[in-house]
Amino acid sequence: MSVRLFLQIASMEARRRMSYRVDFWINSVAGFAAEFAIVWFLWKAMFAESGAEIIAGFTFEQVLVYYVVAILVGRLVRGTEFEGQPSEDIYAGGLNRYLLFPAPYFGVKYAQGAGALLPALVQAVLFGTVWLLIAGGRGMEDVTLLSGAMAIGALLLANILYYLMAYALHLVAFWADNVWSLLVALRFASGLFGGLMVPLALFPDGLREANSYLPFRSLFALPAETLLGRITPEAWAFGMGVGSAWVLILTVVVRVIWRRGNLQYSGIGI
Amino acid sequence: MIEVRDLSKTYTVHEKAPGLMGSIRSLFARETIAKHAVKGVSLDVGEGEILGLVGPNGAGKTTLVKMLAGIIHPSSGTASVLGYTPWERNNEFRRRIALVMGQKAQLWWDLPAADGFLLLKEIYQIEESRYRENLSYLAETLDVTKHLNVQVRRLSLGERMKMELIAALLHDPRVVFLDEPTIGLDLTAQRAVRDFLLEYREKHQPAIILTSHYMEDIEALCKRIVIIDGGGFIYDGPIEGIAATYAGQKVVTANLKRAGGVPVDPEALARFGTVLKAEDLEIKVSVDRERIADACAWILKTHAVTDLAIDEEDIGSVIERIFRERRVDPA
Repeated sequence: MSVRLFLQIASMEARRRMSYRVDFWINSVAGFAAEFAIVWFLWKAMFAESGAEIIAGFTFEQVLVYYVVAILVGRLVRGTEFEGQPSEDIYAGGLNRYLLFPAPYFGVKYAQGAGALLPALVQAVLFGTVWLLIAGGRGMEDVTLLSGAMAIGALLLANILYYLMAYALHLVAFWADNVWSLLVALRFASGLFGGLMVPLALFPDGLREANSYLPFRSLFALPAETLLGRITPEAWAFGMGVGSAWVLILTVVVRVIWRRGNLQYSGIGI
Repeated sequence: MIEVRDLSKTYTVHEKAPGLMGSIRSLFARETIAKHAVKGVSLDVGEGEILGLVGPNGAGKTTLVKMLAGIIHPSSGTASVLGYTPWERNNEFRRRIALVMGQKAQLWWDLPAADGFLLLKEIYQIEESRYRENLSYLAETLDVTKHLNVQVRRLSLGERMKMELIAALLHDPRVVFLDEPTIGLDLTAQRAVRDFLLEYREKHQPAIILTSHYMEDIEALCKRIVIIDGGGFIYDGPIEGIAATYAGQKVVTANLKRAGGVPVDPEALARFGTVLKAEDLEIKVSVDRERIADACAWILKTHAVTDLAIDEEDIGSVIERIFRERRVDPA
């Protein structure tokens, strides 16, 4: 699939997404405000109750910054989720159209997902700027140009990794009518073990160690901790290595599921 | 351009007993049945030919088209379209075929058709000059130039189908599958689509397989038809041949004088065949070929006739009758 085609598809999806102005603002402001409010009240209560100044290596300000970054990273990583997902295509026969195209289905859908990222990117820039104006850089003392560049790399890896994980589950729709519950499970597991719900430093040592070999950590914690300068370059390289290995494994898994699923696809819906 | 040999497709479908208990039971054990959608069919379609695929719902038309377009894999048999095996989905093969689905929108619903066409230009790698030329020709011929920048979902059904046709033909496909392209359209739009397809065939000479429930489409566009029922072909030949093969009857129509004639007696008329109309001014009866002379003689003798005509049964009626009779006696 050519870069030009990828960009053209992404651009079309971005235009389509941005054409729904009300959806965009409701999703941006209300979604972010709700998530941040929950985190603020929860951690305020935890710090007040424990009387500690530092919990799991975070001050209250640092943990808020972590969550702001993690929430925005979460949107960029999961931003490829949008209506018209592979499971819907398989279930309703929308896949037929794509099978006729002289272009790989995975590539076309991922390009659409990349286009759907644009609103998330606008939100990240918007809320990041607002946060900087409000907090004045407190809790972000270790952010450097290098940590920013490394975080972008981690973010790109996280995006393709999450897409592959979700895509593999979507393809189960070749056999099951509804894969919604699997996707909810993925969302929950990735949020918990990926460091979106709580910083991974709160996990017991054994679980943290085991989790470092799973794909989830690379999704949210790695880009967020990298940006905030909370991990060493060695730890970053290890995280990237684990994430890349999972990308390769999932690529093979997805190919196998796709081939088998196609053999029994009936194209219902036309 | 299209060669099909002994192609079959069997779906495995699950059956569930009705009711709550049936639902619970099906969680642990389900009955599966094999549904033979297409059964060992063979056909050839050449360049510039429009083949009409006719059959009732569930006959296997769409399954056959989906296999030939490479969307689904067959259970057995072979097919070659432009020298390619469709379900291998070679990109070169996909650049040279098109499928229009009347019941399923292909274009992007929320965007103007023009945006969708631009994307198709990239997907099919159409050269700029060829793209402009094709789009201009197709839009002008189908009279939708002024709607190109309107969101697809805001177009009328007819306009939308015309856009779908443009989307399918922009890349100059050599083989075109048209699955119910006029479904739901008003008569004017149906005619416009038919006229366009005839002109397009004349100009580009693609091989076309058309499925339609509208006999007007089939009669206007196809010289050859295949009748499919229960997954198998029951007729493959010239459209005129259907009457000779299956129409054992002719329709006798008599126009009667306005006044002074004997009242029409449907029961008496029914001795000769199926009475289609028995009114004061017109009699229409479907009669076995060997009884036509008797029927005409009786009508002329007992009524004041101003005009008498003997016609072949129309093709739509013949096909309808074939399916009806097969439903009663599938053997």
